Amino acid sequence: MKDQPSAASPPAANLEFKAALLLALLLLLMAGTVVYVLYARGAFEESQRLVLIADDSEGVTVGMDLTFSGFPIGRVRRIELTADGVTRIIIDVPRKDARWLRESSIFTLTRGLLGNTALKAFSGILSDPPLADGAERKVLAGDATAEIPRLVADMRELVRNLTALTAADSTLAASLGNVRDVTEKLKGPRGALGILLGNEADAKKLVTALDRTNALLAKVDGLAAKADAQAFGPEGLVPEARAAIVQLNGALTDARTSLKKVDGILEDAQVAAGNARNATADLAALRAEVDTSLRKVGRMIDEVNRRWPFARDPKLKLP
Amino acid sequence: MTWLLSSPGPLTDVGRSTLAWFAGWWRIIHFGALILVLALSPSSYAGPNRSALARHIYQDTAPILLWFIALSSLISLVIIRIVVVTAVSYGLSQFALEMVVRVLVLELIPLTAAVFAALRCALPNAAEIAEMRTRGEFDALAQQGVDPLQREVLPRIASAMFSTLMLAGVSCVVTAVLAYVSVYGFTTGAFAGYTRTFGQIFNPAVSLIFALKVFFFGLAVALIPVASVLYDPARARVRTSVELQSLVRIFVVILLIEMASLVGNYY
Repeated sequence: MKDQPSAASPPAANLEFKAALLLALLLLLMAGTVVYVLYARGAFEESQRLVLIADDSEGVTVGMDLTFSGFPIGRVRRIELTADGVTRIIIDVPRKDARWLRESSIFTLTRGLLGNTALKAFSGILSDPPLADGAERKVLAGDATAEIPRLVADMRELVRNLTALTAADSTLAASLGNVRDVTEKLKGPRGALGILLGNEADAKKLVTALDRTNALLAKVDGLAAKADAQAFGPEGLVPEARAAIVQLNGALTDARTSLKKVDGILEDAQVAAGNARNATADLAALRAEVDTSLRKVGRMIDEVNRRWPFARDPKLKLP
Repeated sequence: MTWLLSSPGPLTDVGRSTLAWFAGWWRIIHFGALILVLALSPSSYAGPNRSALARHIYQDTAPILLWFIALSSLISLVIIRIVVVTAVSYGLSQFALEMVVRVLVLELIPLTAAVFAALRCALPNAAEIAEMRTRGEFDALAQQGVDPLQREVLPRIASAMFSTLMLAGVSCVVTAVLAYVSVYGFTTGAFAGYTRTFGQIFNPAVSLIFALKVFFFGLAVALIPVASVLYDPARARVRTSVELQSLVRIFVVILLIEMASLVGNYY
């Protein structure tokens, strides 16, 4: 134990070299870290300055990114509050990324619901002239949480309306009460008629009228059946009329024949008129025949008149 | 009341121990100043002093370096995995990398390195010094005209500090690489984004606090045990209790430094 330091000491030169190696490694590590951090913070990049003017820089922190299409193209370097209460967000944009920023570029500051803030650049026309170094632009604030108070106010209004609608003395409740009355009336003895006519008495009248109408219709029905039987039955009016017409046709045929005979007789009479003497012999027979025919016609007309009561003009005109 | 007045013994004890506590810390600070002066004098790096320094630097760091890298990598991988999986399950994967770097590289790895260096390097060194002093080697060196502080103590303190810085530095780099590989896989495509995140985390204030923290960790780990054994009253005390006391002191100081760094970083 006593000679531990000397026993544990290898050749000095070798040890010094190894110790130097370790020291060099540490120095290299430290220098490398410093250089890497400087590189990561953009110390070796040439950059141009962009100033964004905002009313409220809440959520913006030094070092946060300005993104274009999701790619970080700049870094917030400083945030200042000017004398007139406006926030100036100073952003370093590396020269190689500055080509995405144009004169017509729009910058937005959006805040998510979780409080995450994002600075975004939008360049619609990439052929516009590039944004100058130190340019100042207004930043458009799109705040998801800013919508919440308005939303809450709208919701409150909505709830108030709903409360008014559903209150005990509201028009909706009154309407529902009326509907309930109507449905109760529907379920009542008069049903929908009671609702339509308003009062019980009128409804009763209407029902009575309907009953009477029904009775009347039943009577009419019976009447119609009887009329049908009388008009179209086996001994009804129509068959008899048809038989009378047949008989009439026959009688007319007879009359035509008789008239033809009369015509002939008249022709004969005309012939006989010149020779009256000769004709006087047959005159009695002729008169008897004419009388017979006329009687037949008279009977027939009587028959027609008896069977055809609707005839307006009962006279039979002879040709 | 009368009891307290009539028997002031316990109060005297409390006052004495408080005084001793302050005196102990004052001795450590004084010893630190002494060592700083020695470290800044060129004669400390000449001749036998230099070879002693080289020997201690190599012997205190090289054997434990690989072990510590392996250990810290294992712990880092576990923590990175937990953080990444948790962040993904909450849909906050974009914050996972930043959290990993902040938790591991900024806070846990330097702390682990300091504790590891204290246990594996600084405390055994302090024990050696105490033993040498007990054996009278310091007196023998002084008689030869050699400053024992310069020849034996300074190299050990410097090597403990170097060990802390080395362990912290190497394992931080390894952890940063592991974090990148764990999150993005074996690809170089995400290097720009990773660098950007790294740059956002290591702003000037955080970088400065980180550097100061690691430096003070090393200083505390290297100085406190040696100062404790050198300036502890040479009473009939068991040596293990001195070691324990120095360990407690190291932890207290490390805790204070860590708290200060957290306050600096996040308030």
